[in-house]
Amino acid sequence: MVVHDIIVIGGGLAGMRAAVEAARSGQNVAIVSKVHPVRSHSVAAQGGINAALKQDDPWEDHSFDTVKGSDYLGDQDAIEILTKEAPSDILELEKMGAVFSRDETGAIAQRPFGGAGYPRACYLADRTGHSLLHVLFEQTIKHGVFIYNEWFVLEIVKEGSVVSGIIALDMQTGKLHRLRAKAVIVATGGYGRVFGSTTNALSSTGDGMGLALSAGAPLMDMEFVQYHPTTLKRTGLLITEGSRGEGGYLINSKGERFMEKYAPSVLELASRDVVSRAEQTELNNGLGIDGCIHLDLRHLGREKIMERLPQIREISIKFAGVDPILAPIPVRPGAHYSMGGVMTDVDGATPVTGLFSAGESACVSVHGANRLGGNSLLETIVFGRRTGTAASKFSASTDLPNFDSTSLARSSEIVGELLNRKDGEKPSKILKDINDVMDSNCSVYREENSLKDGLQKITEIKKRVDRVSLTDKGDVFNTELTSVFELGHILTLAEIILLGAINRKESRGSHSRTDFKERDDKNWLKHTLIKKKNNELTIDYKDVTITNFEPKERSY
Amino acid sequence: MKIKIKIRRCEPKCETGCEPFLQAYDLQVDDGMTILEALLELSANQDPTIGFRRSCRSAICGSCAVMVNGFPKLACNTQVIDAFQKKDELILEPLSNNRVLKDLVVDFSPFWEKLGKVTPFLTIAESKNNQQSSTHLTANGQSSASSSYASTPVAITVTKEDEEIIDSVQKCIMCGACNAACNALEIDQNYTAPAALAKAWRFVGDVREGSKKKRLERLSLDHGMWSCVRCFHCTEYCPKEVAPLQAIERLRSRAIKKGVLDNQGAKHTTALVESVKRVGRLDEAAMTFKTLGFLRSLGMIPFGLKMEMHGKMPHPIIFPAIEDIEEVRSIYKKREAEIESEEKDEKSGE
Repeated sequence: MVVHDIIVIGGGLAGMRAAVEAARSGQNVAIVSKVHPVRSHSVAAQGGINAALKQDDPWEDHSFDTVKGSDYLGDQDAIEILTKEAPSDILELEKMGAVFSRDETGAIAQRPFGGAGYPRACYLADRTGHSLLHVLFEQTIKHGVFIYNEWFVLEIVKEGSVVSGIIALDMQTGKLHRLRAKAVIVATGGYGRVFGSTTNALSSTGDGMGLALSAGAPLMDMEFVQYHPTTLKRTGLLITEGSRGEGGYLINSKGERFMEKYAPSVLELASRDVVSRAEQTELNNGLGIDGCIHLDLRHLGREKIMERLPQIREISIKFAGVDPILAPIPVRPGAHYSMGGVMTDVDGATPVTGLFSAGESACVSVHGANRLGGNSLLETIVFGRRTGTAASKFSASTDLPNFDSTSLARSSEIVGELLNRKDGEKPSKILKDINDVMDSNCSVYREENSLKDGLQKITEIKKRVDRVSLTDKGDVFNTELTSVFELGHILTLAEIILLGAINRKESRGSHSRTDFKERDDKNWLKHTLIKKKNNELTIDYKDVTITNFEPKERSY
Repeated sequence: MKIKIKIRRCEPKCETGCEPFLQAYDLQVDDGMTILEALLELSANQDPTIGFRRSCRSAICGSCAVMVNGFPKLACNTQVIDAFQKKDELILEPLSNNRVLKDLVVDFSPFWEKLGKVTPFLTIAESKNNQQSSTHLTANGQSSASSSYASTPVAITVTKEDEEIIDSVQKCIMCGACNAACNALEIDQNYTAPAALAKAWRFVGDVREGSKKKRLERLSLDHGMWSCVRCFHCTEYCPKEVAPLQAIERLRSRAIKKGVLDNQGAKHTTALVESVKRVGRLDEAAMTFKTLGFLRSLGMIPFGLKMEMHGKMPHPIIFPAIEDIEEVRSIYKKREAEIESEEKDEKSGE
């Protein structure tokens, strides 16, 4: 049986940053990922990573912008850490080999982003995530992190109340393996695939959140789903906020820059939830163009578009047939990011001994009810590093727990039964039904009846999953098999998102209820916690940590 | 429109030892549909057993490169109708130059191993690091004291020009299209191949890198950068404009500048330059001796004689310079003077 000190599930930015930090401190570290690390969805992050680098931009301002952006649901102690440690982490990335775009003086260039009072987003053209992900992959090689590439995790195994390792399926052979460890870090990113209309990769199915929930960890603030204002018509691909940061306009069918009505002072650079709602309102009022809003970049000119937004141009041309130099890009709001996730402290530790989480799969919470653009990459780096350190300390101070030998047989039975099952529904059909429910019942605007109707439908779909049967009975690269496990996580997360949304009777950040239009600090300035006990979901609440910034009205 | 998509199916590891075969599927395709969307559609509604890699859908994760009608392309940014209409058929096959695991899924481990061999991470020059850190911090307006955080690393100045010279190779998404199209890799499985060589330039070309010469020496070994046959395929089929061949040429030129000359590739290039300067054309016999050395060249004599007999090689002894050799030499003179002044500039800049 293979033994490591620390196993990181997921090889995106947070996972690799944690792994590198742990390996640097002398731990034996492995990354287990269902896609090769450089295929992870961090690669698609475009616009930037925030840090208060300039002398006239104190980190406290970055803190305040983040707190305000979170609609006061973010924990202010965690946000302080995020923003204070950002500058040195950026320099550390540079030392690892990252190349950031430069300004005229040779300093790291920074561009404006929504909800930020200062141009604070460092970037490499419009492929910041890609650049950082490849640098971190290089670092895993440098520091000898072992990578289980295309291994699908089926279970986080516990010995009593303590994490003792994982069971994973090697997708290239179809064999199941036991991997023992003292600490497990969940860094599997978001669950965009719960929705049909999403910017997320096909692999963003929230597996880690589902695994952690089953291992006893609570999920926090799951009802807060960020809808990105500019996702491409038809495919839902991301068009970076950087395109508005560089000066792009949002235009309705009358040719108006409609953001004047919703955020008169900052217009297109309001926070994402505000812009998405504005777009949805315009669309609902019949002011859309073919179900879309136009993102107009033409006035920026060819040169600026080619230098700062080359990938956006490529995506627009290849996937929508529109050259932004010549015509506006058709966009609409789409599911983009999960503010919620596995509840952790500021060092990535969950309430389950030996279980950690970082990045989008975690909820520290630094994003509260709405994340600011440029803060997600930052979170993966700052909290990835901190989680790597904390997991190393934990691992160094504890002995390897026993490993429950029945766990492998249990997983193997589940997989075997699934492969042998005859006559049933195809898993792909079920995913489509979940996506349809979530797109129509739990979107930018929400309302009690439709949420309850959604939950009812999800509960019915749940029964069907136990009866799916596979066409592919093979061992090698059986993605139909792994899709059933993904489907299980997607269903659980859909249910949790709906539960949280039904219960939260207020509008805050990305959670916008048409039947409770106001923010209600008296009753709802608190985090939602959902746990799984004996296969039942239970809801609990937790206070928000407030240090320097008392909640006040939020307007842009 | 309705079209037929043919997919090369194969599961070499299956017990019956099955042979690869083409399977055809009928598919209704709409304007704008990509090959990846077509595969997803087939997988969801016709045949869930088709093996293919996928993730981001937006040409940035590098998962989905396959052969489309014989050429490597990303499935996610290739339009079905375009590809179909060009040849009146659409055949999808796994990436060439790779072992197939299942259908369109190939074994990528040799790809990662090749990458690992070029030491794919920055090794910073220590002195440079210290020397430049202070200037950067003041230019940036941030003093080191303002950071309350103990292990503050120092910053290294990278100018816009420094960034530009490695910009194209930084765009690489490791999809493997270049290696699939590489003629040199087809005949030498040990060849480092364009993807890893582009990565090598990423570091040799980085102003902060501290062991450039060591890297160039290793890249000059057998199966390294001199094995490239300059067929241009890697640059032609790269979906991200990485231009691996340009990176390979830059590596070669940098190696010669840095005096990494004790290898066949560099010797061959140097001999070529000398030959043209001396006689205005290729003196094949002299070049063979200079590239391979005396003893190994002896073995080439029968081959040389055969070529000579067929008029494919100028006579090795009676080998006159071309008529206007002085013109060629004056070109050399001009270029040599340019290089000298460039080198002076570089030195004064350091």
